[in-house]
Amino acid sequence: MTRSNRSYLAGFLVLPAVAVVFLAMIVPLGYAAVMSLFDFQIGRENSGTFVGLKYYIAFFQDSVALHSLYITLAFTVIALALELGLGIGIAVLLSGIPERLSKPLRAIYSMPLLVSPIIVGLIWRYLYDPTFGLLYQWLGAVGLADDFGGLAKPGSALFSIIVADVWQTTPFILLVVTSGLSTIPSEVYEAARMDGAGFLRTLVRITLPMIGKVILLLTLIRGTDAFRVFDIIYALTNGGPANSTMSLSILAFKKGFEQYEMGYAMAISLITMLILIVLFAPLVKRSSFMVKE
Amino acid sequence: MPSKMLRNGGKGLILALFALWTVIPIWMVVMTSFKKQKDIFTVPVKWTFQPTFDNYAKAFSNGDFGLYFLNSGAVAIVSSLLSVGLGTLCAYGLTSFGLKRSRAITNFFMLGKLVPAVTMLLPMFVLLQSVGLLGTYVGPILAHTAVNLPFVVWLAISFIKDLPKELEQSALIDGCTRMQAFRKIIFPIILPGVVAAAILSMQYSWNELVFSMQLTDMGTYTLPVGISRFVGSVSVDWGKSSAAATITMLPIIVVGFFIQKHLAEGTTGGAVKG
Repeated sequence: MTRSNRSYLAGFLVLPAVAVVFLAMIVPLGYAAVMSLFDFQIGRENSGTFVGLKYYIAFFQDSVALHSLYITLAFTVIALALELGLGIGIAVLLSGIPERLSKPLRAIYSMPLLVSPIIVGLIWRYLYDPTFGLLYQWLGAVGLADDFGGLAKPGSALFSIIVADVWQTTPFILLVVTSGLSTIPSEVYEAARMDGAGFLRTLVRITLPMIGKVILLLTLIRGTDAFRVFDIIYALTNGGPANSTMSLSILAFKKGFEQYEMGYAMAISLITMLILIVLFAPLVKRSSFMVKE
Repeated sequence: MPSKMLRNGGKGLILALFALWTVIPIWMVVMTSFKKQKDIFTVPVKWTFQPTFDNYAKAFSNGDFGLYFLNSGAVAIVSSLLSVGLGTLCAYGLTSFGLKRSRAITNFFMLGKLVPAVTMLLPMFVLLQSVGLLGTYVGPILAHTAVNLPFVVWLAISFIKDLPKELEQSALIDGCTRMQAFRKIIFPIILPGVVAAAILSMQYSWNELVFSMQLTDMGTYTLPVGISRFVGSVSVDWGKSSAAATITMLPIIVVGFFIQKHLAEGTTGGAVKG
């Protein structure tokens, strides 16, 4: 086969996949970028009036929008910290027990990953139900039921959602860290033991640095996921009470589909994407997320 | 050595507690789905009761769940076949031809993973409406395929790169065309990985909520959308929605046990091997 024939075939193989992503992602993004400059009604896109950067400026003067940015950042940082801590902790414990025990445990632990976010919402609304929810019954048994507002109070709703998110996504961290740990040669641990290093010292000095790359990648993947959070909030509180769980994605969704301010909604969702890229670009560069030389 | 026993005991206790924390919420829903109305609203929670299938009958008779089930199946199967079919061919094109821009194209796919669903959804909704395709299967299938393609491409690239280069070369020397070499030599070897990728794509599509909710209509709702309509209403019918949730959740959890080792690498796009 000649060289040009070969690249012809390669192009033919690559093109359909690129076309789908182009059609479903790049075209909508471009369209959103243009339409966010217009004030328009759904179904009457052509009669919209040009408003320029009005919506982008409005975002930074809109106290609800700025609050959403704060909520989104808080959700991302707290959820990520808890999930990484718990996931790495359990993975380290799991790596110290025999394979015949750790394998079935890993299978059990990974179940929440496979559950649809809307069902996670259903499950946790049931657990958080103030009258017959399991959580309140257990809190009541130790006399704390009255202090905990669950999903109903602005002070505790965001944290309650984070708990449900931790339930669903910690298994992911756990699985990835487990496979990262399995690449550390056992000689390293033997050497550490010979030198008399204890559990904590081994963890901080050897285990964590050895899986540093994995942790970086997880921070990127889970961090960007958390920043985009939509499903679990939609299923649990839909942004309430009193906007206390209104993430940027929820806000954009509500503006677009409930208040019919499509132009503003698109501007918010694009700003969300830009902030995400700015926040995580340094990690993308440093992690193994992209192919390099 | 009592201190060692104590430490092992502590370890076991933590791991057991974590297992309970994982299982109890799922068990609660499965249990509720088999409870009579009067057993659901009890304080304290009843762990033993007379089981009933009433909730399942209700979900299917006045909840259109049969239809949602078929819709979910159709969207999941078509979109995962598309992702896996286009994705593996694309991966072969990117790895085996010395294409100059292959790295740039791969990275273009990975950047797609950073786009928020809502950012894609809003313009897709307007565009699909203007071409009259809102409310059909086209919206969710297109969206799910686009979301799944990056990781399928990435995963398939890592599978193909793991193969010895001589394998393809000897096929070419024996007179195979490039496509024959792919079909007869490479594809059969990477098939187990491709199946895992297909199952992971199907799992995403099966569970996905927001595209399926906004781009479909009454006739094309999927299972998660059906459940969200139960949950969204003012008073939740816990029995009925638990039954619907159980039907939706169990098949994918069962399948999940078989692709255990691929769960980690699948969601990291092959960057971490399970």
